[in-house]
Amino acid sequence: MPKTRKLALMAMFTAASLIVFVIEAQIPAPIPVPGVKLGLANIVTLIAMVMLGRREAGLILLVRIAMGSMFTGGVSAFIFSIAGGALAYAVMCLTLKLFPEKLLWVVSVLGAIAHNLGQLIAAIIITKTSSLMLYAPVLLASAVVTGAFTGLAAMYLTQRLDKRVG
Amino acid sequence: MYRIDKQAGFIYNRFMNIKSTKTWIIIFAAVLIICTAAFLLLKHSGIQGTTAVIRVNGEVYEKIDLNAVAVAYDMEIRTEFGYNKLHIEHDGISVIDADCRDHICMSQGKVSKAGVPIVCLPHKLTVEIEGGDIDA
Repeated sequence: MPKTRKLALMAMFTAASLIVFVIEAQIPAPIPVPGVKLGLANIVTLIAMVMLGRREAGLILLVRIAMGSMFTGGVSAFIFSIAGGALAYAVMCLTLKLFPEKLLWVVSVLGAIAHNLGQLIAAIIITKTSSLMLYAPVLLASAVVTGAFTGLAAMYLTQRLDKRVG
Repeated sequence: MYRIDKQAGFIYNRFMNIKSTKTWIIIFAAVLIICTAAFLLLKHSGIQGTTAVIRVNGEVYEKIDLNAVAVAYDMEIRTEFGYNKLHIEHDGISVIDADCRDHICMSQGKVSKAGVPIVCLPHKLTVEIEGGDIDA
């Protein structure tokens, strides 16, 4: 892929993930558990990972988290986002090559689990309330559902996009 | 030996193949069911406790002996992180007002037993019940 094309695609993906992130922040939480959300912006991270590469996806994720926190939540939101995002990114990088294309959603679920656990650990450290650990099961369950959803979305999107963009 | 290997291989291929969609659907479905059940159990069980501990940014903000609460009252917590209003009753504490963005703390209801705490992440506020005495 030519350099300019890659740069343009990265900019486009970053913009798309920011839009998705900001819109998602307006959706009220479906269940009263802190940390449960769809994580739609992860669709873009996954697509970038498959189409552009892991390093590029990491850069897009970093810019999205930094700018997304500025738009919606401030410093404390940034800490939770980066804790979850970094762990999810690490896990998805490690597992991406292990699975065939039709199992991209598994990578996404594993990433979502890592994301929620990262946020939970950050929350326990910040609030010094160890009983927050009791939220682990519900965060794990929600990660399976939301991760499968975003993963399937990313999987079908990359299949369509490959023919037009790649 | 060969037969055992072959059998082990069969079991591996049948149940453990990580390249198979079915394996992962089964694994994640199991995780989903076990975790949901575990959380429902956690939320609705728990040891009776009488000491409520309110923390802001990791520091203990206030400890309340719920046994001594005869008449319910409200408490406003204003810190650099934001504003929350707690409703303190003999049998538990709930958040009834807050200026955070998502109001998840308010929808978590009343915490009355030692176990799953109330948390308002944007304001770094947690409310949990501890079992035992106020000194514990």
